[in-house]
Amino acid sequence: MLVMILFYAFSAVLIAAALGVITTRNPVYSALCLVLAFFTSACIWILIEAEFLAIVLVLVYVGAVMVLFLFVVMMLDINVEELRSGFTRYAWLGWLTAFVVILELVGVLAARRLGVDATQGTVPVPADYSNTHELGTVLYTQYVYAFELAAVLLLVAIVAAIALTMRRRQGLKVQDISAQVAVRREDRVRLVRIEPEKRP
Amino acid sequence: MLSNYLPILIYLAVATGVGVALLVIGALIGRYFTRYPDDVEKRSAYECGFEAFEDSRRRFDVRYYLVAILFIVFDLEIAFLFPWAVALDAIGSAGLVAMGIFLAILVVGFAYEWKKGALEWD
Repeated sequence: MLVMILFYAFSAVLIAAALGVITTRNPVYSALCLVLAFFTSACIWILIEAEFLAIVLVLVYVGAVMVLFLFVVMMLDINVEELRSGFTRYAWLGWLTAFVVILELVGVLAARRLGVDATQGTVPVPADYSNTHELGTVLYTQYVYAFELAAVLLLVAIVAAIALTMRRRQGLKVQDISAQVAVRREDRVRLVRIEPEKRP
Repeated sequence: MLSNYLPILIYLAVATGVGVALLVIGALIGRYFTRYPDDVEKRSAYECGFEAFEDSRRRFDVRYYLVAILFIVFDLEIAFLFPWAVALDAIGSAGLVAMGIFLAILVVGFAYEWKKGALEWD
């Protein structure tokens, strides 16, 4: 009963936050609403006892992806008029996406009606059951290939980010501290033996 | 089990309550007990005494993105490390080897960004 109340409470906050994302004028407020939406989604995932995924959602999306979003939103030169002019041009894409999402939602609900529900809801588990442990036992054995592919994807992301954004400014004078420390006397000072002048 | 999370739920409720209460109390006190009501100067931008020169939304160095993206990559890496550490007793040496390969691939990326100088701010 309490779980149902909590589910509806979190869902209400989630929907309100999602509406806030698309209705607020200020992009910074939209991004912060998105943070709230992610956080309440994490709460809902806790309700279905997927603790690890909930924490990862907060860690990765709220911690990292939203930082990137806020960077973009707060520091990029956003011309609101220009954005608004593209609204009608790309509206069909938005409608198409919304339609597909609604179709998928109906599909999920219809699948439950047809009796092919794979999840069977959440089964109550004992208090010492660790979702993270279960995830770890299959992720690194049964799905090890996908796991290593994830590493390759991350490697590609590193290389691509560096290749796309790395710029070296030309003619920049920088201190090389190791070279400064490693310098020896012979590199800097040359002792020259000078013959004393002969007296005339 | 969900009841294990009850303290967190209570904490969440208390934190939300305290946050909302502080905002509401501040707003109420500000509205009803203020000695000087609103005026233009009180609401104006305060930046060391003079008006802001320009809009804060402007183009900036792309290196901030680079730092953020590299942070996301290694953030995901540690997200993979947590269930591995929890389940290591069950998966044994196979898991150790799998994580070794995973980390080796990412160390290649780390060495690349180090050698490229992406970690330097110059």
